[in-house]
Amino acid sequence: MKIQNIKSILPAAMMCLAVGSIASSCTGDLNTSPINSNIVQTFDQAAVFAKLYSSLAVSGQQGPSGEGDLNVDDEGMAGFYRLMWNMQELPTDEAACTWTDNGTPELDINSWTSSNAIVGNMYSRCTYDITMCNHFLDNTSDTDQSESTTDLSKDTKHERAEARFLRVLNYYYLLDFFGNVPFSTTVMTTNPPRIERAALYRWMVEELKTIQGNMYAAKAAAYGRADVAADYFLLSRLYLNATVYTGTENKANWDSAAIYSKKVIDSGFKLASKYQYLFEADNGYGDGSVNDATNEIIFPIQQDGVKTNSYSGSLFLIASIHNSDMPSWGSTEGWAGNRARYDLLEKFFPKGVTTTDESTLTSGLATLAGDSRALFFGKDRTQKMASLTTFKNGFSVTKWTNLRADGQATSDTKFTDTDIPLFRAAEAYLTYAEALTRANGGVATQTAIDAVNVVRKRAGATVLTSLTLDQILDERCREFYFEGQRRTDLIRFGYFGGTNQFLWEWKGGSASGTTFDSHYNLYPIPDTDLNANNNLKQNSGY
Amino acid sequence: MKQVNLGISKKILALFLGLMLSVCTFAQTSTVTGRVIDVNGEPIIGVNVSVDGGKMNVITDIDGNFSIKVAPGAFLNISFIGYKSQKVSAESTPMRIVLKDNAVLLQDAIVIGYGTVKKNDLTGSVVAMKPDELNHGLQTNAQDMITGKIAGVSVISNGGTPGGGSTIRIRGGSSLNASNDPLVVIDGLAMDNQGIKGVSNLLSTVNPNDIASFTVLKDASATAIYGSRASNGVIIITTKRGVAGAAPKVSYDGNISFGFKRNTVAVMNGDEYENYVETLSGKDSDAYKLLGSQVFGKNYNTNWQDAIFRTAVSHDHNISVSGGFGNIPYRISGGYTNESGTLITSSFERVTGSINLAPTFYDKHLSFNINAKGMYAKNRYADAGAVGAAIAMDPTKPIMVENSSNTAYSDFGGYFQWYSYDSALGKNVINSLASHNPVAMLKQKHDIADSGDFIGNIEADYKFFFCPDLHIHANAGLEYSDGVQRLYESPESYDDSPYGRQGRDHLYKYNKSFNAYAQYSHDFNIHHLDVMGGYEWQHFYRAGLSHYNGVSATHNETSTPTKTESYLVSFFGRLNYSLLDRYMLTTTLRDDGTSRFSKNNRWGLFPSAALAWKIKNEPFMRNIKSLSDLKLRLGYGLTGQQDIDQGDYPYIPQYTVSTTGASYPFGGEYYTTNRPNAYNQNLKWESTTTWNVGVDYGFLHDRITGSVDWYYRTTKDLLNTVSISAETNFNNKLISNVGSLKNYGLEAAIDAKLISKKDFLWDVSYNVTWNKNKITKLTTGTGDGYYVATGSISSGTGETIQAQAVGQSANAFYVYKQIYDTNGKPIAGLYEDRDGDGKITSADKYYYKSPNAPILMGFSNKFVWKEWDFGFTLRASIGNYIYDDVLASHHNVSTTGYYATSGYLTNVMKRALSANFGSTSNIEYSDYYVKNASFLRCDNITLGYTFTNVMSTTFGGRLYATVGNPFVITKYKGLDPEVSGGIDRNVYPRPVTFTIGLNLNF
Repeated sequence: MKIQNIKSILPAAMMCLAVGSIASSCTGDLNTSPINSNIVQTFDQAAVFAKLYSSLAVSGQQGPSGEGDLNVDDEGMAGFYRLMWNMQELPTDEAACTWTDNGTPELDINSWTSSNAIVGNMYSRCTYDITMCNHFLDNTSDTDQSESTTDLSKDTKHERAEARFLRVLNYYYLLDFFGNVPFSTTVMTTNPPRIERAALYRWMVEELKTIQGNMYAAKAAAYGRADVAADYFLLSRLYLNATVYTGTENKANWDSAAIYSKKVIDSGFKLASKYQYLFEADNGYGDGSVNDATNEIIFPIQQDGVKTNSYSGSLFLIASIHNSDMPSWGSTEGWAGNRARYDLLEKFFPKGVTTTDESTLTSGLATLAGDSRALFFGKDRTQKMASLTTFKNGFSVTKWTNLRADGQATSDTKFTDTDIPLFRAAEAYLTYAEALTRANGGVATQTAIDAVNVVRKRAGATVLTSLTLDQILDERCREFYFEGQRRTDLIRFGYFGGTNQFLWEWKGGSASGTTFDSHYNLYPIPDTDLNANNNLKQNSGY
Repeated sequence: MKQVNLGISKKILALFLGLMLSVCTFAQTSTVTGRVIDVNGEPIIGVNVSVDGGKMNVITDIDGNFSIKVAPGAFLNISFIGYKSQKVSAESTPMRIVLKDNAVLLQDAIVIGYGTVKKNDLTGSVVAMKPDELNHGLQTNAQDMITGKIAGVSVISNGGTPGGGSTIRIRGGSSLNASNDPLVVIDGLAMDNQGIKGVSNLLSTVNPNDIASFTVLKDASATAIYGSRASNGVIIITTKRGVAGAAPKVSYDGNISFGFKRNTVAVMNGDEYENYVETLSGKDSDAYKLLGSQVFGKNYNTNWQDAIFRTAVSHDHNISVSGGFGNIPYRISGGYTNESGTLITSSFERVTGSINLAPTFYDKHLSFNINAKGMYAKNRYADAGAVGAAIAMDPTKPIMVENSSNTAYSDFGGYFQWYSYDSALGKNVINSLASHNPVAMLKQKHDIADSGDFIGNIEADYKFFFCPDLHIHANAGLEYSDGVQRLYESPESYDDSPYGRQGRDHLYKYNKSFNAYAQYSHDFNIHHLDVMGGYEWQHFYRAGLSHYNGVSATHNETSTPTKTESYLVSFFGRLNYSLLDRYMLTTTLRDDGTSRFSKNNRWGLFPSAALAWKIKNEPFMRNIKSLSDLKLRLGYGLTGQQDIDQGDYPYIPQYTVSTTGASYPFGGEYYTTNRPNAYNQNLKWESTTTWNVGVDYGFLHDRITGSVDWYYRTTKDLLNTVSISAETNFNNKLISNVGSLKNYGLEAAIDAKLISKKDFLWDVSYNVTWNKNKITKLTTGTGDGYYVATGSISSGTGETIQAQAVGQSANAFYVYKQIYDTNGKPIAGLYEDRDGDGKITSADKYYYKSPNAPILMGFSNKFVWKEWDFGFTLRASIGNYIYDDVLASHHNVSTTGYYATSGYLTNVMKRALSANFGSTSNIEYSDYYVKNASFLRCDNITLGYTFTNVMSTTFGGRLYATVGNPFVITKYKGLDPEVSGGIDRNVYPRPVTFTIGLNLNF
C-alpha cells in the first residue's frame, strides 16, 4: 500500500505543481505592449512634428509604400498632392487623364458622385492630417515657449504655430473642395460637429492672424518649414476667394487680399531666374546651386528619390505626364496619363499649333509661343482629344521633370527629387494684381499691370499695357497650369459649374464641351463619413 | 469516497474469482481450433491468442489458424497490433474470429476537444474520419485527405502551386473581415493560423502519412470548448502511434507522379494575330510595324502558354517504423517530398521526420504521449502572373532574341521584352505598361524560401490509484519555426528595372502552449456522469526582418522589422450526463482571455449545451430490426473570434516610426517621423451563436449509416474594418465591432456498404451541403446603398467588383446589369438604368450572385475484389459564380485593345471576340463577366493491388496507380472553375497528375 501511495502522490503532486505554478502567473501575461522596434508608445515631439509635414509629401511610414497612413485600396493613389492635383486639374480645361482607375474618368467629365474614390481619399487625407495636428497640439502646451533653431524637441513655440498653420492649410482644402465639413480643434472621441463653409472661413482667417506672432519671420525658418510669409500667402488666397467661401461679395476682402499678397511680395521672396527651374529636381537645393528656385518657393512639399518618396508626390506628376516616346525626363517611370486639353494649348497658341516641324514639336514650342512657360511636346500628338483615354490625343506637358538644372545626376532614377512648390511668390503677384483690379471695380491700375508683367517678364513674354480680369485668369493658367490651382480659379471667375459661358473640350462629358450643374462647384461629402457621422449633411445637389 | 472503495474491492474480487476460475478449469483441458480473419475475410498471421488469466498463448499461422489447449467455456484473449483486442469464449467447434482494425476502432472512440468520447455518445455535430488508404489522389498536404469527404467542409486548393495551401471553410465561414479559417489542433495543440514563412501551407508541418485520424467539430456545442477561436469550426488531427509489446513493423510508402497542364486559354497564334492586325489596322499602321515579321523579319508563332508549362515530375517517399519496446510503444517516420510544378521553375521540396513515444507506467495509471515533428522545406515560387502574361504576350515574337539580330535585348538577358531607350540611364528599359515576357518572369525571378519547423509536445495522463475514475491530463507543447524567403531579380529582369531587386524576408516564431485538465467519470446505476475542468495558456511570438534593395545600387532600400506577441489564457470545463444510455446532456463553458483586447473586453465567456436522445435505445424501438441506430441531437453554443488580422495590439495607442524612404527634411536635415496609429479601445470578441439539430441513423446492422444536420448561425459584433467618423482617430477606417451575419444550412451524409462479401466489397459515401449566408447589419450608420467594396480586379488600380452590403450574401458581385440584343449578344456599354434617372451611374449597380456555392457534394466509391481495389472520388459545387477577370481584362479586341500607343502589342483572346466590346469604358463592371462556375470534378481515380505474405513471410504491400484531377465538367470557360474568392485572375492552374505508388509493409 505504501508503494502505491507514492506512486499516486508523486506524479499527481508534480502535475499539480506544474499546473499551479503556470496558472498563477498566467493572467498577468495578458498585459502586453508592443515590442517591435518601429513602434513606440511615447509622444516624441520632434518626430510627430516632422510627420505633420511629411504627410503632405509621402503616403505612409515606408517610402514609397508599404506602411500606408490611410486604409485605402492603393496607397500610391492616396497621398495628399496626387489627390489634390486630380481634383483641381482633371475637371478643368487644363488636364485630362487617360486612366480608367476608380474615380478618374468621372473627374475628367465633371460627373462625380459621393462614392468617388479620389474625392473620398482627399477628404480622408485632410481630416487625418488635421487629427494629427490636433494630437500634436493636445500633447504640447502654449505655456512652453521654448525656441531653438537646431533642436526640434525644443522649438515648441514655433512648432505649435506651424501645427496650427498646417491645420488651417488642410482645412483650406476642405473648405475649398467640400465646404461644410466636420470641425474639431482637438482629437475627438465623439463625432465632431458640422461647420458651415462661411463659419469655417472666418475661423481660418482668425486662426492665421492669431498665430502670426509665433511663426518664424519670413525666410528665417529652415527650408521646408512654414514661416510668416506662408501665413500671409494663405490669408491672401482666402481673402481673394472670400466671395465664394462666404457667399457674399465684400470689397474689404479684396483690399485684404491685396494687403497680404503685398506683404508676401515684400517679405524677401523673389522670382526664380528661370521658370523651368521651379519644376526640376534641384529646385530645393537653395543658395549656391545653379537652380535658384528656393528664392521663389515660399512653402514646398519636399521630395527626395531615396529619403522622401512616394507614388503620390512629384513622381506621380512627372510619371503621369510622360510616355516612352518623349525626351528623357529623369525617371524610368512613364505612365502616359495626364496631358493638356486643347484649351490649355490655346492660352499659348490662340490659333493652335500650326507647325509640323518635328524638332519644334519636340522641344521648340516655348520658343514658338514666345513664352518660356509653354512646355509642351507635340510630336505624334493630336492637339484635340478625339478620345479621353488615348494619351496621344492632346499635347504632352513637359513642365515637370526629374532633371537637374546643373545637369548632375539625381539621387534616384525612378523616384524623384523634385520638390513641389505649393506656395510660390509668382502667385502673390497675380493675386495682388487681381485683388487690386477687383477692388477697383474690375479696372486694372498700373500697379496691377506691373505686377502681372513681373511674372510675364520672367517668362520672356511680351509686356502688357492693359489688363482685364479675364486676362488675369489666362495669365494664372499660363503660370500655374498643372500645379493644382485651376478649379479654384475657374469657380472664382464663375466659369466652372452652372454656366455655358466658358466651355472646354469634354467639359461635362461632351467632346465639344457642355455645361454641367453648379452643384459640382462643391465636391460631395463622401458617403462613408455621412454614414459614420450623423452631424453631417450632404452638400446640395448630390 | 465510498464509491471509490467499492470500485477497488470489486476489482480485487473479480481478479480473485478469475484466478480461482482458471485454476479450476486448468485440469480439464481440450484443444480448441480457430481462424482469425479481418473484416475483409483475409487471414491475419501472428495474432496472439491467449487463455484469459492463464499462461498459455499461441500465435496464428500463415492462414490465420491457431490451436490452443483450453477448457471449453474459458475465455480467449485475441490481440494483434493495429486491431481491437477481443475476448471470446472458447468453443469446441472450429472458431471464426473477426478482428476489427483501428479504422473500425475509430468508430468507437472519437477525439474531441480535451478528451475523447464514444461515438454513440456524441451530442454535437462531429465527423471523425480515418484517412482512406485505398482511395485517394496525390496527398502532399493534410487537407488533401479531407477534400470533398465531409459534409459542410469545403477545401479549395489555392491553385496548382507545388506544396500550396488551401482555403478550408467549415459551414461557409462566420466572419467577414476576421479569419474564416478553422482552428487546427494537432495532437492536442491548438496551432496559430499564421503559417510559416516560405511555406504556403499551414498544415505542411504534418506529413499526411503520419496522420491517424481527423475529427472535424462543426457545431458550436462541440467547438465551444475552444472558445474564442472556435467560430469557424475545429479540425483535430491525431498522429499515428505504436502499439505496446508489438514487434517492429516497417512500412514504406512512395510514389512518383507526373503532372500535366489541363488546358490553356485560347488565344491567337502568330499567323492569326498577324492577319487580325493587318485586317483591322492595315499594313501602314504603327501596330503592324511592331509585329515580329516587321521587327525581326520573321513571325515566330510562339505559343507562350506552352513555353511556361512543362510536365512536372514529382516523387514522394515515406518510411515508418512502429512497434512496442517493452511498455513503450514507438513510431518513427521520415518523409521526403519533391514536387515540381507545371509552371517551369516552381518546385517544392520537403523533408519531414517524426517520433512518437507512448510509454505507460504503474499498470497504465501513468501514461505519456510524446511527439516530435520536424520539417524542412525548400520552396521556389513561380510568379503566377506569368500565366496572365502568357495570354497577353504577342505571339509573333520569339522568347529569346539572338544578339545578332538586335543587340538591344542583351539589356534584358536576351529575352524579348517591350522596351524603350532611356537617355537618362543610357540603356534600354522595359515598358512597364506592357506585358512582360512570361518566360523571363519565371526564369529571371529567383524567389526561394527555406523553412524549418518543429512541433513537439508531451502529454501526460495520470489516473489516480485510489480513484481510477479520476484522472488528470497535461499537455505541454512548443512550435518553433524559422523561414527565410530570398528574392533575387537581376537588373536585366522584367521587374523593378533597371536596378533589379534583392532581399530577404525572414520570420521566426514560436508558440508555447500548456494545458491541463482533470476529469472524473463514473456510472451511478442508470446515471452516467463525466465532469472535466481545465486550464490552458498559450504564448505566440513572431519576429523577423524584411530587407530589400536594388542589386547594382542601394536603390529603394526598405527594411521592415517585425516583432510581436500575444497570449491566450483560458479556463474550461465540460459536463456530460446520460440517463439510461438514452438521454444525454453535454454542457461546456470556456472563459478566454486574450492580450489583444483591453482589460475591459479581454475576457469572453463561451457556453454551450447539447441534448441527445438515442431513440433506438427506447424499448419501443427495439423490435425494428432493420433500424440499427437512431439518434436525435440538439445543440446550442456561443463561440468567439479573436483572429482579427490587425496585429496584436489594436487597442493600444502607439506610433509607427518611419523608415528611410519616408523621412522628412527641414533645412536639408532629414528627420525620422512618428505617426500616431489608429486604435480601438472598445474592440472586443466577435461572437457566433449556433443552433444545430441533427439526426444520426443506421440501417441493416449499420451497413448504411449517416446523419442529417440543420444549423442556424448568427455572428454579432462582427469584426470588420469600416469607415469611421473623420477627425476621431488616426485613420479613415478602423477595425471595429459592427454588423451581423447569418449563416444557415442543411447537410447530410450517407455511408453504405452496398456489397460486403468475402471477396467483394463496395463502399459508397455521399455528402451534400446546402448553405446560405446573409449580411444583416454592416455599420453603425444606416445610409441607403452603403457598401464596403472588396475584390480587386485587374482593370485599373483599385477597382473592385464585389461588395458587402446589408441583405446580401457576403462578397456578392456588385455590377451593372448587361443588356443584350435580340440575338443574345451583349451590347457594349448598355446597362439597365435601375434607378431610372436617365444615365448610368454607380447607383445603377446591383448585387448579382456570389462566389459562395450554395450546394456542395462529395461522392466516393470504393470496390475491393480479392487483391484488387478500385476507387474514385467526385466532388460537385453548384451555384458558385466567378468573375472572369481574364476575359474582362482582355475584352477590348479592337485596335485600341491590342495596340497601345506607348508602343506595344497585346494578344487577342478568342473568347473575347464574340462580345467584341471595343474600348467602351466601365465594361469591366458588366454582369456579363460574372459566370456560373458550377462544376463536377473527379478528384481521383485509383486502382490498387494488394499482396500479402510474399514467400511465406509477413512481407506485404500494395501497388497502385492514380489519376488525380482527371476531369472537370463545367460550363465555365476559364481555366478552372474552382477559384477561392471568386475572381479568376492569374490562377496557377491545377494539373492533371498520374501517380504510381508502392506501399510495403515488413
